[in-house]
Amino acid sequence: MPEATLRTLSDPGRAGPASRLSRLAPVHWLALAFLAAALGFAAVAWATGNGFYLRLATEALIFAGLAMSVDLLLGYTGLLSLGQALYFGLGAYVSALVLRDVAPSFWLAMAAALLAGGVAGLIGGVIANRVKGVYFALITFGLAQVAAKTVYNTRALGASDGLIGIPQIRVGFGPFSLDTADPLSFFLLVLGLTVAAYAGLSYLMDAPFGRTLAAIRANEKRVPFLGFNAWRYKLAVYVLAACVAALAGALYPMLRGFVSPELMFFETSGNAVITVIVGGVGTLVGPVVGSLLLTALRSVVGSWTEHHLIVVGVIFMLSVIFLRKGLVGALLARLNRRGEQGRTAP
Amino acid sequence: MSKNALLRSVYALSPLLALLAAPLATAGTAEAADPIRIGVVTPLSGTYAPIGQQVRWGLELATKEVNAAGGILGRQVELLFEDEEANPAVATQKAEKLFQVNKVDFLTGTVNSGSTLAVGQLAERNGRLIATTVSFSDAITTDKCSPNVFRVNARAGQQSAALAEWLAKDKPKAKVYYLGPDYEMGRSTVAAFKAAAEKTGAQSTGEVFAPLGSKDYSQYFGQLRAARPSVLYTSTAGNDTVRLLTQMGEYGLLRNLTIVGASGTVTAQNIGAIGKAADGFVTGVGYSAELATPENQAFVAAFRKEYNTAPDLYGADSYGLIGFFKAAVEKAGGTDTDALRKAMEGLSWSTPQGAKTMRAGDHQAIQDMYAVRIAADGSSTRFDVVGTVPGDAAIGPDQCTRF
Repeated sequence: MPEATLRTLSDPGRAGPASRLSRLAPVHWLALAFLAAALGFAAVAWATGNGFYLRLATEALIFAGLAMSVDLLLGYTGLLSLGQALYFGLGAYVSALVLRDVAPSFWLAMAAALLAGGVAGLIGGVIANRVKGVYFALITFGLAQVAAKTVYNTRALGASDGLIGIPQIRVGFGPFSLDTADPLSFFLLVLGLTVAAYAGLSYLMDAPFGRTLAAIRANEKRVPFLGFNAWRYKLAVYVLAACVAALAGALYPMLRGFVSPELMFFETSGNAVITVIVGGVGTLVGPVVGSLLLTALRSVVGSWTEHHLIVVGVIFMLSVIFLRKGLVGALLARLNRRGEQGRTAP
Repeated sequence: MSKNALLRSVYALSPLLALLAAPLATAGTAEAADPIRIGVVTPLSGTYAPIGQQVRWGLELATKEVNAAGGILGRQVELLFEDEEANPAVATQKAEKLFQVNKVDFLTGTVNSGSTLAVGQLAERNGRLIATTVSFSDAITTDKCSPNVFRVNARAGQQSAALAEWLAKDKPKAKVYYLGPDYEMGRSTVAAFKAAAEKTGAQSTGEVFAPLGSKDYSQYFGQLRAARPSVLYTSTAGNDTVRLLTQMGEYGLLRNLTIVGASGTVTAQNIGAIGKAADGFVTGVGYSAELATPENQAFVAAFRKEYNTAPDLYGADSYGLIGFFKAAVEKAGGTDTDALRKAMEGLSWSTPQGAKTMRAGDHQAIQDMYAVRIAADGSSTRFDVVGTVPGDAAIGPDQCTRF
């Protein structure tokens, strides 16, 4: 496991209350820098009236949520899920059905997706956690394929055509409200949710819960000797990841106005794993950076050549070979090294 | 240290910042330029790439001819291609880029119906028009019709109606057995043809559904024989058709049995692998390269000269779309969405497939349909036209209620 990340994880624990901000771990500084960049981007795009790039960035953030859920499993617990799109797609379909058929309410759609993601995650988790390693990866893959094929063949869910006609809605916050049809408002909303997810999840990963997950990743057999039930923790993080993926998925039909079974296909799951590995495993901010980078790259390269998948594949291979800890992992290693030099210098 | 760390992170992220500033750089190029721009969102990679290739060739050939003859209203036509990977999630993103960044006047190319429906909704929200030249799901111009979506190719209903018409004429009161792949599209295709065939007097003797990707079809041959049909209808596709027809040939079931099927059952892609077993297969379709009209012969010759292969249904329908668009823009006097929609509704134009008329009520093109029989004599294969069904007989009622 990345040494840098372990140190990162232990940093906030050492920070005293007085110097909490100045002792903020480098990974959080990266997250703040990223947030500033995102707000700067939003300002530029808004000033130039460029809705397309705002909506593309919104989509990247939505898929970043899926990638974060993969990172919870892969980076923190050492479980490779090849079927996380199952929960993403489930959230998307539940949200779409609620918005179209029940009520155009943002909070109701999110709550329904969360509930569905939790229940499905519990069922899927009980099945998948019966096995370890490559078998875990295969079972998660199989579960997602079964779900995708079922949706693909269910007429009531639009079958292969998917569902269209998901309305654009207003999101209410007490006296305020914003419109999902407005690119800037919806981008800021999704950005806010992403930051909240990042903050909440990285807090949880620094808490004893996350430390136990790290112990499971390091050596699962020794965890019971410390008095913890590894299976329960693995199930809990699996359900947590399913909920995160379902919430991210619930935002998709609000942005694009449709859902289709392709959202559950292996392509979606596989892309999320690639995003995490390119961005930085076990950092939570890595998946977000990776998602923005790969989405932008696909959009730009895709317009030049139909061989864009080769470009993404080469980037993936290069990052596996040269940036073992992904983009953010490499950055963190540099920051930590320099930080140490700064501390030891007189 | 913290301040430095922040500065360092910003410095380290600067390539990303440059990428994020992309909207600034492209904002200036968004003005509507002189040429008429048509966006083409079509699968250029993956399983559907051969279809996307035909779409691209058809559109490029027609555009070249239009531009050589002076363009549309004196403006050249420019095609902008984007790969949709046959995935609606990719298609909408690419289509939005074409609409908002490239400011295209019109959009086409989507292949699978999911993409067409999703991009159609996007077109509505962007106030532009699209047309599909490939998707044949009935929903696009019936219950999920959109005022901003047009279809210039024949839908599934027209194909099965044409095949049923031919069957009623050529083999009156035929005893038909149905064999389809066991998934939603396979079952609905069989159900649609069954309804059409029973209406024209055919007798149904039974049906069976085999799993997608079946390796062995011989387990169904007992039921098939016992039902004593004179006609077998199948809606399998790709390699499933290869296995079904070759196994039927090995079991001697092809004698005294006419095989008919959906338009995607035997195609240029799998006919080589089926070989002689494809001989005599009949389907209802909107085009064959063997059509003996002068317009079609000229089109096929030009297509062969340019791309060294014959056009198929998708290439022909896509080629015809440019003629439709040209006629509509000239009638409307420009590319304004409302004027263009009005001009397209009820428009008649000529294509290599014969004259087509865009029905105003549901934006579905009406065209003559053809019953096509495959002649495979070992070395070469032809799609011979064995019957023509007039457009009005195949089109069916207008079921669109949205506009």
